[in-house]
Amino acid sequence: MSSEAFRSHGRAGSRKGHAMLELAISAGVMVTCLAGTFQFGYAFYVYNQLVTAVGNGARYAAQRTYRAATPEDIERGKAAIRNMVVYGDAQASNDAAPVVVGLKPGQVQVEWVGKAGEVPLAVDVSIRGYTVDAIFKEVTFDGKPFAECPFVGGYAPGEREP
Amino acid sequence: MFLLLAVIGLAFDLGRVYIARNEAQVFVDAASMAAAQQVDGTAAGLDRAQGAVSRLPNRWNFGNEAFQGVEVEFGTDEEHWDARPKDASAVHFVRVTAPDNHLDILFLRAVGGPQSLTVPAQAVAATNPVRLAE
Repeated sequence: MSSEAFRSHGRAGSRKGHAMLELAISAGVMVTCLAGTFQFGYAFYVYNQLVTAVGNGARYAAQRTYRAATPEDIERGKAAIRNMVVYGDAQASNDAAPVVVGLKPGQVQVEWVGKAGEVPLAVDVSIRGYTVDAIFKEVTFDGKPFAECPFVGGYAPGEREP
Repeated sequence: MFLLLAVIGLAFDLGRVYIARNEAQVFVDAASMAAAQQVDGTAAGLDRAQGAVSRLPNRWNFGNEAFQGVEVEFGTDEEHWDARPKDASAVHFVRVTAPDNHLDILFLRAVGGPQSLTVPAQAVAATNPVRLAE
């Protein structure tokens, strides 16, 4: 091999090495960006579903009849509201699928606003300790989403929950 | 790079827009019911309706920002609206609009998108019985 041919071959090899290095660096940046995009996108998607579920649950709670014959009846009413948030159905069956992946009734907080023994003024519904597994990172929603709705339903302090 | 920013922008900015729109709709639904509940055929009832809307704790932008510039209007039907109707006894509907939810756009602006987007929401509630009308 002449010295000229050797130099030419060396430059081509060097260019190939540079290209590999550039590809490695740019691929790292792109994969990181796309992973972050997926993570945010999925977390946003789940949060949006939670906003809808909490809003529907709060509206349902505000329009249903408040029955308070015993503390157990109040708790059963809250359980129906939690079911509405999680399953979209107050009387959900045991094999019902949640509207948001992995959401459980225990992660829905329901609070009546107002004094005990009186007509509720409003109802607060929020999500507590729900974690989204976005593959690359877990995101936990605590206290959000939150919705308050004025109570406009029936008031039956002496009735039992069916 | 342009394509990457566009993809990130679509996922991040449009995701935030959809969430803001949803949060605003949940707010105006609740606000219109809160206002309709206070309407009792008197001018004082209309004042209480305005107050009930302003006291709602619902927020937007991931629950971090209070709603600004919320408009409460009253109507005898679902066609004609007045913020201060002369005859309070004829009011049967309340319309609440949250028009000023300006969301800063972070990524799409870098590829020619808007600097911010407004995400308005509106709901109408009937007064007797109190229920959402649309």
